[in-house]
Amino acid sequence: MSEQAPLLSLNSLSREIKKRKILDNISFDFLAGKTYTIIGPSGAGKSSLLRLINRLDEPTDGTVLLNGKPAREYKPEHLRCQIGFLFQTPHLFEKTISDNLLFANRSLSIDEQKHLLEIVQINASRLHEPVPKLSVGEKQRVALARLLATKPLVALLDEPTSALDPSITEAIEQTIKEIINLTNLTVIMVTHNPDQALRMGGESLLLVDGKLIETGHVEHVINNPSTQLGRQYRSRDLL
Amino acid sequence: MSYSVLSTPLLSILATTTSDKMVSPNLTQVGYSALLVLISIAISRFWKLPVAKDMAIGSVRTFAQLVAVGYALKIIFDIDSAWLIALVLIIMTLVGAHAASGSVREIRKSFPILFLAMSIGSLITIGLMSLLVIPFQASYIIPLGGMIISNSMNAAALSLTRLGADLSQQKLAVESALALGKTWQVATRSIVRESARTGMISILNFMKTVGIVALPGAMTGMILAGAEPLDAVYLQIIVAYMLLMAVTLTSIIAVAIAIRRFFTSYHQLIETDN
Repeated sequence: MSEQAPLLSLNSLSREIKKRKILDNISFDFLAGKTYTIIGPSGAGKSSLLRLINRLDEPTDGTVLLNGKPAREYKPEHLRCQIGFLFQTPHLFEKTISDNLLFANRSLSIDEQKHLLEIVQINASRLHEPVPKLSVGEKQRVALARLLATKPLVALLDEPTSALDPSITEAIEQTIKEIINLTNLTVIMVTHNPDQALRMGGESLLLVDGKLIETGHVEHVINNPSTQLGRQYRSRDLL
Repeated sequence: MSYSVLSTPLLSILATTTSDKMVSPNLTQVGYSALLVLISIAISRFWKLPVAKDMAIGSVRTFAQLVAVGYALKIIFDIDSAWLIALVLIIMTLVGAHAASGSVREIRKSFPILFLAMSIGSLITIGLMSLLVIPFQASYIIPLGGMIISNSMNAAALSLTRLGADLSQQKLAVESALALGKTWQVATRSIVRESARTGMISILNFMKTVGIVALPGAMTGMILAGAEPLDAVYLQIIVAYMLLMAVTLTSIIAVAIAIRRFFTSYHQLIETDN
């Protein structure tokens, strides 16, 4: 059986800020259509890694490959449309939900916009609703729909529920899972919460002090780590 | 030196300043006016406001600086050389850009940006004015150039301060747009427009209220010097239009240059914690 070629590869990725290593020699292959969570204690470099993947920041060393082609060779506009990014706190632009979707992709028809809203479980009749009226949870859903509007291959989700009320967290998680089921999207989600990683399933990467410590199925990484740092993380010593 | 035909009306306006009514204070009268400084110091001491020293130093500096400028202008006006005019304007711009760079804390090493923006904004305005309205003589170009450069300085400083603050405060908005595949030009469009507008607010407010809230400096000066009010008004209108152009150009150029400092060629926002 032939092995699936990685959609996204990180090759010896490092980032240094003011002579401090934020990320140290990270290498990993992400496959198309799979779900990944990046876990680790705060300050481990989880969000920094996401920012390098769609080049919101520049690595000090190493390369990111999308479909085998170095990220540097893509125009930033094209790369970032293919690798979407969802921030912790959603920022919607002024005016309506529709304006936000069209900002991401001007060619969307009304039906396509309504379909995107249905995917993120917002009633399509609210398409022209002004964004200031939305709750934080609804804003995050619209931000998710806006990310999908560029038709990305990969979605980078940076702690998408950390700014939300715990009661909404699981609903958003459910929405993300449904998006994964409906599309062939590769999701890479950062979370500081190991339970959330377990709920999301798929594979997990454990980062500690900018280093990739454990990789594998999320159950294995969290419940049966093979390294000392992994065991410390499991016992919450590193949280 | 050749003048444009359009310069004739202004020359006639300015010529009226030598009328019999001209106010020409002497040093004794200046001495009497120093009584106002003493009264101000006495009042502030009575109220225990910690400004007496600053008032005294400020008053002495006002006297010394202005007298020195008076002698310098007299020499420059007498020589009336194009090179000397250019040199004075360059020195004014350098000093203005240096002063403004001290107040723009949000953008590091802003001096070259300010100097370039102020130079281009002022040069084009002064150039157009000297082609159309003002004779290229030291006694006209230097005072008007001073007004243009000082207004450009304030406009550029305000625009850059706003730009730096907005980029820092609206980092999430900018990066949200970048993350959607937008260029930095699109991601910062509203910030750039607001920053440039901030530099123009002062002149726009001035133009809305001029003559109603206060009589502006050039006009007041001419009236005090004995000119006819309508002549003084014409000059003030020319000055206002001139300042509007200089401020507009300088604000836009300063922001257009400075914004590039915040992004890499790969449309990445560079950290703004200066």
